[in-house]
Amino acid sequence: MTQSQTEQPSAHATSTEPVIVARDVEKWYDNGFHVLKGVSMTVYKGEVLVVMGPSGSGKSTFIRTFNALEPYQKGSIEVDGITISHDLKNIEAIRREVGMVFQQFNLFPHLTVLQNVTLAPIWVRRWPKAKAQEVAMQLLERVGILEQAHKFPGQLSGGQQQRVAIARSLAMQPKVMLFDEPTSALDPEMVREVLDVMRGLAKSGMTMVCVTHEVGFAREVADRVVLMDGGYLVEENTPQEFFSNPREDRTQKFLSQIL
Amino acid sequence: MTSVTPDSLSSAPPEILALGPVAWAKKNLFSDWFNSLLTVIIVGILGWGIFRLVSWALTAAQWQVIPNNFGLFMTGTFPSELYARIWALLAVVCGLAGLSWGVLGRNVSTLFSRSVLIGLGLVCAFIVLFPPTRPSSLKLLPMVALVAIAAVAGRQVGRKFPGIGKWVSLAWFLSYFVALWLIGGGLGLTPVSTNDWGGLVLTLFTAVSGIVLCFPLGLLLALGRRSALPVVRLLSTVYIELVRGVPLVAFLFMGQVMIPLFLPIGSRPDRILRAVIALALFSAAYLAENVRAGLQAVPRGQREAAMSLGLNTPTTLGLIILPQALKIAIPAIVGQFISLFQDTTLLSIVGLAELLGIGKSILANPAYLGRYAEVYLFLAVIYWFFCYAMSLASRKIEEKLNTEH
Repeated sequence: MTQSQTEQPSAHATSTEPVIVARDVEKWYDNGFHVLKGVSMTVYKGEVLVVMGPSGSGKSTFIRTFNALEPYQKGSIEVDGITISHDLKNIEAIRREVGMVFQQFNLFPHLTVLQNVTLAPIWVRRWPKAKAQEVAMQLLERVGILEQAHKFPGQLSGGQQQRVAIARSLAMQPKVMLFDEPTSALDPEMVREVLDVMRGLAKSGMTMVCVTHEVGFAREVADRVVLMDGGYLVEENTPQEFFSNPREDRTQKFLSQIL
Repeated sequence: MTSVTPDSLSSAPPEILALGPVAWAKKNLFSDWFNSLLTVIIVGILGWGIFRLVSWALTAAQWQVIPNNFGLFMTGTFPSELYARIWALLAVVCGLAGLSWGVLGRNVSTLFSRSVLIGLGLVCAFIVLFPPTRPSSLKLLPMVALVAIAAVAGRQVGRKFPGIGKWVSLAWFLSYFVALWLIGGGLGLTPVSTNDWGGLVLTLFTAVSGIVLCFPLGLLLALGRRSALPVVRLLSTVYIELVRGVPLVAFLFMGQVMIPLFLPIGSRPDRILRAVIALALFSAAYLAENVRAGLQAVPRGQREAAMSLGLNTPTTLGLIILPQALKIAIPAIVGQFISLFQDTTLLSIVGLAELLGIGKSILANPAYLGRYAEVYLFLAVIYWFFCYAMSLASRKIEEKLNTEH
């Protein structure tokens, strides 16, 4: 019993090879607001890291610095061994290796589902069209939208759109996937189909950083859970400890509000 | 407690109850005393106006001025022995128009739906019955037939080669130079001085040239105004705001007078060229603002999604942002094209004999003194026809690009 309690969690072993190393990242918005106040975090290959925290805590902003969608003013971020700099080529090289799924899906509404998924492989990876389409169809089958391939995003439900968005990111064969509240804009009955796809992705060994409020998902899939609040990283813990026996009072208070 | 049984929940939409004409009029026109009064007053005014117009057109109006000067209206002082070249140009345009129609409608069940047949029938009846076209109706009717035949051919070709669209666009692009060659001559054709270009041909030529030139310029200005580079942004903004602060007439005069000042002594660019450049430079500023509105309507998430996939800035712009922005801006852009088309009437002020200018010079002829109403009504119908065609086309394009449902 006790054995299974402590050993139960992750379906896959995590390595000690870091994929993302953030050191003392500080960021101010243009209006002077200090949103990140020296956050350090390391994401290891193959692990699933869940970032929680109240709104305005800087968690979305933090993971958006990993693929340089948000610039930061102090500290350093290393992705797959490349340090993010202001150089455009450097930023594009990092973005090729980092997939991102957004709260609002952000599918391209003027392109079909298949074109959405093949766009980046064709234009960035320079794959021939046939190869890109073959890979895209495999991915669409994996996320369960194969029969919608030739529809436009506007014709799909929110859950289906988010699954297409996941397939679109996977098509670039990224080393790490960032999820920015992927289920927050969905109707309740569609949350599950998206989480199921994310579970499958975690099982396959993908390195994932998820900003989410889904406690069930965090408990079941995460290797580590961190809490951010007010621009600080408050607590970093295993999911069991985080949810049942948190170290920090702030975590306890946060959990009492969402559970 | 009443419950809704599945049977009563029909999935078909409820039938709209058809009203008889009397019931319809009662519901929509005479629902209470105030609406009845309004109906009577408005129908009275409209009926009186239409009656006056029709009775004037049929009895008092002297339409002879139109057929007697039809050649002038259409082509200005273009030498009449070279009219065959204008006909050839019309044939090229009709053929291409039919071809494009067929290619675009290759997946529609029938090209000739009832409304299209009615439209074609009306055009044919107009050509046969309208007095001024009568000598040339023998040539105009085959043009209508050419459109129809090209449409059928275009459909067949379009079905066989789905990628033909690009070539049709290229053909339209090349047709511009064919038009230039057919009107202006050279390369084996007798040259016609631009002083002899005129009438509807000149109006259409300046409008099309203005549109073709101002679109890319407006696009660049819009992008420039949103550029991250401060110098580019400043220059674009200054240009747009300066041009929008000057009336077109002033701009046209400056074009005629000032463009030569900037060029080496002795080189005087053609009057029509100067007018077209002034028109395009002017419209580009307005177009830029329309395109910018479209760019701003594209959600920020689109750019972020494209960038997070590793797309570089030009690819993001060309494949993601611009297609959506232009789609949003179509109504405004076409509105700008329509007003550019109407602005060509101002070219008569700087001495070009475009459609309105020809109309004025015909009215100055003592033989047609006082025929204002006839001439201006005729011109109004022509302008309306082309502007309405443009707005119809823009609606079709919007429908075609709609991916929401």
